[in-house]
Amino acid sequence: MLSLLHFDVLPLAELEVGHHFYWHLGGLKVHGQVFMTSWFVIGLLLLVSVLATRNMQRVPKGLQNLMEYVFEFVRDIAKNQLGEKEYRPWLPFIGTLFLFIFVSNWSGALLPWHVIEIPEGELAAPTGDINTTVALALLTSLAYFYAGFKKRGLGYFAKYIEPTPILLPIAILEDFTKPLSLSFRLFGNILADELVVAVLVLLVPLFVPLPVMMLGLFTSAIQALVFATLAAAYIHEALEGHGDEGHEEHA
Amino acid sequence: MDPLVASASVIAASLAVGLAAIGPGIGQGSASGKAVEGIARQPEAEGKIRGTLLLTLAFMESLTIYGLVISLVLLFANPLA
Amino acid sequence: MFDFDATLPLMALQFVLLTFLLNAVFFKPISKTIDERDGYIRTSKSSTAEYLKEAEKLAKQYEQELADSRKQAQQVIAQAQAEAKDSVDKQIAQAQAEAQQQREQVQKELDQQKQEAFRTLEGQVDSLSQQILGKLLGAPAA
Repeated sequence: MLSLLHFDVLPLAELEVGHHFYWHLGGLKVHGQVFMTSWFVIGLLLLVSVLATRNMQRVPKGLQNLMEYVFEFVRDIAKNQLGEKEYRPWLPFIGTLFLFIFVSNWSGALLPWHVIEIPEGELAAPTGDINTTVALALLTSLAYFYAGFKKRGLGYFAKYIEPTPILLPIAILEDFTKPLSLSFRLFGNILADELVVAVLVLLVPLFVPLPVMMLGLFTSAIQALVFATLAAAYIHEALEGHGDEGHEEHA
Repeated sequence: MDPLVASASVIAASLAVGLAAIGPGIGQGSASGKAVEGIARQPEAEGKIRGTLLLTLAFMESLTIYGLVISLVLLFANPLA
Repeated sequence: MFDFDATLPLMALQFVLLTFLLNAVFFKPISKTIDERDGYIRTSKSSTAEYLKEAEKLAKQYEQELADSRKQAQQVIAQAQAEAKDSVDKQIAQAQAEAQQQREQVQKELDQQKQEAFRTLEGQVDSLSQQILGKLLGAPAA
């Protein structure tokens, strides 16, 4: 490992990449800092949801109004990709994807996690860890396989040889590139954002990193939207069959 | 670490990001230009065009991010080290 | 940085759990509320449309009645005007007739007086002509 970016000159900021706060569960090692922040995110989501839906009114106000707006936002993501008929059973998955990624990204960008000291490594957005993004991407893959099998049974495999069997390797390859690109896109964006901010803070600790932080907020929101939209598009593709509509392929 | 591998990794990392930025840069430029043309021709469709443009830009951006991921691998998790 | 370990499956498990929990506390209740509100709005919209139709009917009825009474009023006015004109005409005719009668009477009286006057004048003419004749005849005789 190159420790190129490990400066101990300034007490204000330092860069650490690849250090983890390991927890040992039996014979397994897990990244403790990822779980701490993800529990915070999950707790926040559940708390706000419970508070908003505890006492529902016909005329919404306050928190309920906000959460209804959020609900309609994620519903529109699912509806635009999956269509009016199919979107309802997939709404919780796609909505939770969006909300979890969005709140994770913004917690990483907005909350001063680094202030909290942990024995090793540092707290950051859970989506900045490759394990989290790969887990989400694999779940998305499972979701679209499940959607295809449930809708069309074994006929789902027909999509691999549908236009011509010549494209079979590419069709199989696609199933690997989809989760790969999903996970690396999210991971890369979040980590790159954190690194850029960290490097700028290292160079000029005051004010100068602010525009980049704003850009980071924007990118994080867009990445959450992209992840949810793509997951919905993949599920839709599995439901509708291959090649009979103009969904663009994102490698 | 072998100093030759280290220096090659650093050069390769910078090349990965730099080269990966060229294509998406051109693509984003042309996409944004077309989007502005579209808005100028049809200002009432601005909201829809902007939404699609942002999504498309994010997809192009991710190409550079793949290069960045490769360079991060080379710098921080180098398999050859 | 690219070290995969037990974090991955645990995170996936955690995420699936979160999906079910959020479905229970967020997606289901809110979608139920929104559906209920949609239903409420739809029913109130349809009943409002009914009320509107009724109101329009009533308004049309009132307008009809208004037009009717306006027509009636005009009829009454026209009748009154006709009656007034009638009586005025009658009175004028009566007055004219009276005036005619009086004029005729006066004319008659005038004629009578004229005739009387002529008659007396004729008598006088006779006596006067006798006198003149007497004078004329007497003068040369004298």
